[in-house]
Amino acid sequence: MDQIISDASDFHDTQIPNISQLDALLRCHICKDFLKVPVLTPCGHTFCSICIREYINRQSKCPLCLNELRESMLRSEFLVNEIVQSFQSVRTKLLEVVKMPTISGSEDKSLIELGSDLESESGENIQSSKELESEEGDDDIQIVGTNQTKSTLRHNLRKTVSGPRINKSISSIESMFTKRQTNVRMAQCPICEDFYPIKTLERVHLDECLTLQSLGKKPVKRKASSTDTGLASKMTKAPSTSQKRMKSLTPPKDDNISHLERYVTSVVDTEHQRLPKLDFTAMSLSQIKQKLSALKLSTVGSKQDMIARYNHFELLWNSNFVDSMDPVSESELRRQLTSWEASNNSNNVNTNNNIGRLMMQTKKADTKTVEYNKLLKNFKNDKFSRTEWATLFNKEFKQLIKQARRNLEKDRQKLNDENDHEHGIEGLTEPSIENSSLFNKNETS
Amino acid sequence: MHNNPQETERLISDPVPGITAEPHDDNLRYFKVSIEGPEQSPYEKGIFQLELYLPDDYPMEAPKVRFLTKIYHPNIDRLGRICLDILKTNWSPALQIRTVLLSVQALLASPNPNDPLANDVAEDWIKNEEGAKNTAREWTLLYAKKE
Repeated sequence: MDQIISDASDFHDTQIPNISQLDALLRCHICKDFLKVPVLTPCGHTFCSICIREYINRQSKCPLCLNELRESMLRSEFLVNEIVQSFQSVRTKLLEVVKMPTISGSEDKSLIELGSDLESESGENIQSSKELESEEGDDDIQIVGTNQTKSTLRHNLRKTVSGPRINKSISSIESMFTKRQTNVRMAQCPICEDFYPIKTLERVHLDECLTLQSLGKKPVKRKASSTDTGLASKMTKAPSTSQKRMKSLTPPKDDNISHLERYVTSVVDTEHQRLPKLDFTAMSLSQIKQKLSALKLSTVGSKQDMIARYNHFELLWNSNFVDSMDPVSESELRRQLTSWEASNNSNNVNTNNNIGRLMMQTKKADTKTVEYNKLLKNFKNDKFSRTEWATLFNKEFKQLIKQARRNLEKDRQKLNDENDHEHGIEGLTEPSIENSSLFNKNETS
Repeated sequence: MHNNPQETERLISDPVPGITAEPHDDNLRYFKVSIEGPEQSPYEKGIFQLELYLPDDYPMEAPKVRFLTKIYHPNIDRLGRICLDILKTNWSPALQIRTVLLSVQALLASPNPNDPLANDVAEDWIKNEEGAKNTAREWTLLYAKKE
């Protein structure tokens, strides 16, 4: 893994250290990484599908509370999946932003920054600000209008209840949405004498100011920069409208996936049956082989290898087709299985592979490959036949010996030459050229 | 499994007081651990060296932990092996290196002579607790002294 390891503690020294809790909550307690295809247990705990399935194969209990747990009890959690993914997609930026030292020393500032960045990731909100500019003649306008008044009312209520403090933070949240609209025309409110974008002023702010006045409260003065577009319009633009529009207007890009939409439209794959657990103790070798080839899996290796292969494939399969909301293809699963086998048996296979690769370079004939593989299977145990190996590669070995002799002679000659001319470098390079040319020769033969 | 670096990172960035764990340069599954003896225990003021090894199947399997420093404790034998349920039957993959080490530290604070590993020590502990604790204190001074 060459990616940088992230950890919840990354947020400890930021302006909002509590994000570390959110970060930690979105991680699997088994692999300690962000939840991948999360599943829920009946005891209310969530793990990566693969992690918990692998553990249930060993122990039928929940790792967190030790309650009984079987695979059939697991349920996928599409919502958590999208929450994790959307958090992951903003994490780097979020971290960057909250790590920045406060410029003016005010907390609001960080909120603004944080907000605007969070929004920029989800696409939906870019949409909402776009909409604001191009709203004239829109069918939505009526709904928007009514909703807006509702939400402004809600605002005012909150303002009257909790006074200027909340008010201030609301305004700062609101202002983060307006930050994007840099060239919107501004106008002064006749009541509170603050500046707002004209549209906001007409649609939201005047109402707000008037209600405040009628309630006998002095509207709270705001900084000229903090304006009042955002939250109200943002609230009306919640799921339904903006979702549909986003689909039609902006084709979703990879980093701009709407997690909300993915969640809403998620369905369980019903095409693929769950793969059963097999009782291998009662099965013969040929039966196991049959099972494997029925799934188009390789049947090489010992009985134990094959059992492990089936079990891991069952894990991948069920996690993918039973739990995941966007399952990959069977062939991709097979590829994952192969890479799992490669990394899992790396210790004992690696050496063989290296020899194998070397040898493969020197020969092409298919029959030879088959024979070679047959021999290689026993490479590490007593059954390995040295004589057969020797006859199989007789030609290659002889050639290598010949080459070694030739090189030795050449070196000797070179040494003699060097003593005469002092040509050090040539002496070093010659043999390697010789080597490669020999390989080519072998390949053609 | 890729969780090993994940945890290693956390051990370093978010250390537990009184406990250090450093991965070995050559083998990232092997950790050199030191645990401070808990206060008000016979092991107070001692620093105990341990080794911790993460098996291939970790976290599905428990890490292997062993005391390198000699210690007089009913649940730790002469070879440094530890009798602790979470390292054996009660292991859960939700546990981590840090929680394991915290449990080991807690075991130092409250020995359990009724589930012994070092039988002679446990016997001594049950018969004459004060005497056993004194021996433990002596051993701590002898073998686990701070440098």
